[in-house]
Amino acid sequence: MDRETRDMLLETADRFFTERCGRDVVNGVEKGVWPADFWMEIEEMGLPLIAVAEERGGAGGTLADMLAILRLAGAHAVPVPLAETALANLLVSAAGGSAAAGPGTVALGATTLAGNRLGGTVARVPFASVVQRFVTVATAPDGPKVVVVAAGNATITNTPSHAGEPCGTVSFDNATCEFVGASPVGVERAYELGALMRAMQMAGAADKVLATVVEYCKQRAQFGRPISTFQAIQQMLAELASCVAATIASAEAAARDADEGGLADGGSFSIAAAKSQASDFAQRIAAIAHQSMGAMGFTHEHILHHYTRRLWVWRRDFGSETFWGEKIGTAYAKAGPQALWSALSASRYAA
Amino acid sequence: MSIPKLEFPPFHLPPEAEALREEVRGFLKATLPGIKTEDRFASWNTPSPDFSRALGKRGWIGITWPKRYGGSERSFLDRYVVTEELLGNSAPAGSHWVADRQSGPLLLRFGSEEQRQAVLPRITKGECYFSIGMSEPDSGSDLASVRTRAEPVPGGFRVNGTKVWTSGAHRNHYCIALVRTSGQHGDRHKGLSQILVDLKTPGVTIRPIINLAGRHDWNEVTFSDAFIPESCLIGNEGDGWLQVTSELAFERSGPERFLQNFYVLRELVRVLGRQPAKRAASVLGRLIARLWTLRQMSVAVAGMMQGGKSPAIEASLVKDLGTIYQQDLPEIARVLAESDATTEDDLADFLDIAQYATMMAPSYTIQGGTTQVLRGIVARGLGLR
Repeated sequence: MDRETRDMLLETADRFFTERCGRDVVNGVEKGVWPADFWMEIEEMGLPLIAVAEERGGAGGTLADMLAILRLAGAHAVPVPLAETALANLLVSAAGGSAAAGPGTVALGATTLAGNRLGGTVARVPFASVVQRFVTVATAPDGPKVVVVAAGNATITNTPSHAGEPCGTVSFDNATCEFVGASPVGVERAYELGALMRAMQMAGAADKVLATVVEYCKQRAQFGRPISTFQAIQQMLAELASCVAATIASAEAAARDADEGGLADGGSFSIAAAKSQASDFAQRIAAIAHQSMGAMGFTHEHILHHYTRRLWVWRRDFGSETFWGEKIGTAYAKAGPQALWSALSASRYAA
Repeated sequence: MSIPKLEFPPFHLPPEAEALREEVRGFLKATLPGIKTEDRFASWNTPSPDFSRALGKRGWIGITWPKRYGGSERSFLDRYVVTEELLGNSAPAGSHWVADRQSGPLLLRFGSEEQRQAVLPRITKGECYFSIGMSEPDSGSDLASVRTRAEPVPGGFRVNGTKVWTSGAHRNHYCIALVRTSGQHGDRHKGLSQILVDLKTPGVTIRPIINLAGRHDWNEVTFSDAFIPESCLIGNEGDGWLQVTSELAFERSGPERFLQNFYVLRELVRVLGRQPAKRAASVLGRLIARLWTLRQMSVAVAGMMQGGKSPAIEASLVKDLGTIYQQDLPEIARVLAESDATTEDDLADFLDIAQYATMMAPSYTIQGGTTQVLRGIVARGLGLR
């Protein structure tokens, strides 16, 4: 979609999330209450289908459009599998299938397809216990396949994430598949797309943390004046801004590179670097935010933890800085010192 | 919420800039092998008139300036690429660095035609070098407190005072000095001007200030009744503060804020060998990811500037993150090399390099605005003060 259409959609979605995704919804999900109305409205807006082609019933947006919405969802701690469903729908439709209604998620891990039956176990599948279907990219004798399995055909162990969202281990034991299609992406690439999705959500959450903390420090008075007027606080918040800025800049650059380079392999290196960077800074962002807000920010009552806990969980999802750092480091070491600058200045993996 | 959005719109350097990159690489490949390795490590702190002249011959100094002053009238983004290639390849760009980045643009913006004619063509040839005369013994971060006085006398000014940390004054041709031309010390920003000082002027004395690494980059420049002709006043009397603040903006988010000690990363890759262990690869990869991020941010700021915006906060954030990365790099690299270097000999060489880098590192977060001053600027941008 063109820039103007996207900006309009983002503005509408921002208002919608502000009105309908308040703390009660986020806290409700943590207590195990599925916000069915909220999800219905998300579907009515077409958000899970944003990157699905129009002829397949979607909004005809690009990967970049989808990622822009996910960044926004991150900035509102949207506690339903919008990101996961959007990515699942993108994969299924790119493999020739049709996107289905209802919440879904991606179960990306070691899964194998044999005779149209799926096998394998995937740990830490986001929202596993509340979705209607799982989408995976499975290995098969004739190349990777996008596979859809109905939730009823998998075994799910629910272990809520440390951010209070449903999450769990999913086992496919010779599971019947709703859909199998030749995958436009390999197994590793699917994982990369998951990492990119999380990097953008982290950019949104980081942005919200900064806004929340700045606002708090301007309101909170101690020793007779707002604490934002103390240099010690100003220095901390400026450092916080730098970490947030790096998270946003790297995620946006990776989103751009992935979008321009195509679904199959665009922006591989940039995604690895962005997820590494976002995961690396998550702790500093959370630490400064909590230190600035004192005891208030450590309560469950305040919304800060909706974002800091997600940052802590998301940095681990789809590869931490250790995981992606190793990939980058291995490739750059293999290419040797002389290739370092040319690869870095071209934003690509060294040959 | 009313805080300004921090945005770094991803930006592609245009094809003509990328084509220039290849040209610059070809030039450096042919030119650099003749230069001693240890000289290359300080890059923009390493002077080499020969190198600067060769670069000038290619038209790559003052690349954005009008042709009538010897420039090439190319874009700011072309300059960006030349700069990052010089740093990425550890070229000894120290002789012309300040003139190209700061003094020339200042004269183009505020200088008289006579001043421009006198120096700009020589700068672009790589023959004329500049120092910055801002800091004084009692004026560091608080520049408005400068005491050096230029008293109007017939035909010019009589200058008295002392400038410090004046990089390269002992080998450069000119210094642009921030001085008080009217009013009193307490007048702060008012009554300050900048003057173009020929460093051979009688009454100007240059003494070395050796830094902790034993290098002679800095100087103390003393003015004792030095006569500076009226024609050397830059712009209008009293505009000095406006000039220095716009000058500092030139130098905030460029690639020198994160590529100054790039050689440490390159040598780290060498010392770890082609198949590092998992943990070593991971630490290396995280450093590379950090540097990549900084470059994306810096390029985004360059793109915004090219588009006519003045992203002051974003530029300050790049310097803050970039200089701290450069301080972290030698430490992380040293510890990693000690556990994961492939051979003892390589390790010993690398530790010497890392030690040197460590000794240079304190300067990064001081020069061009300390981290704390920058964070104050960012805090103001966030609406905190």
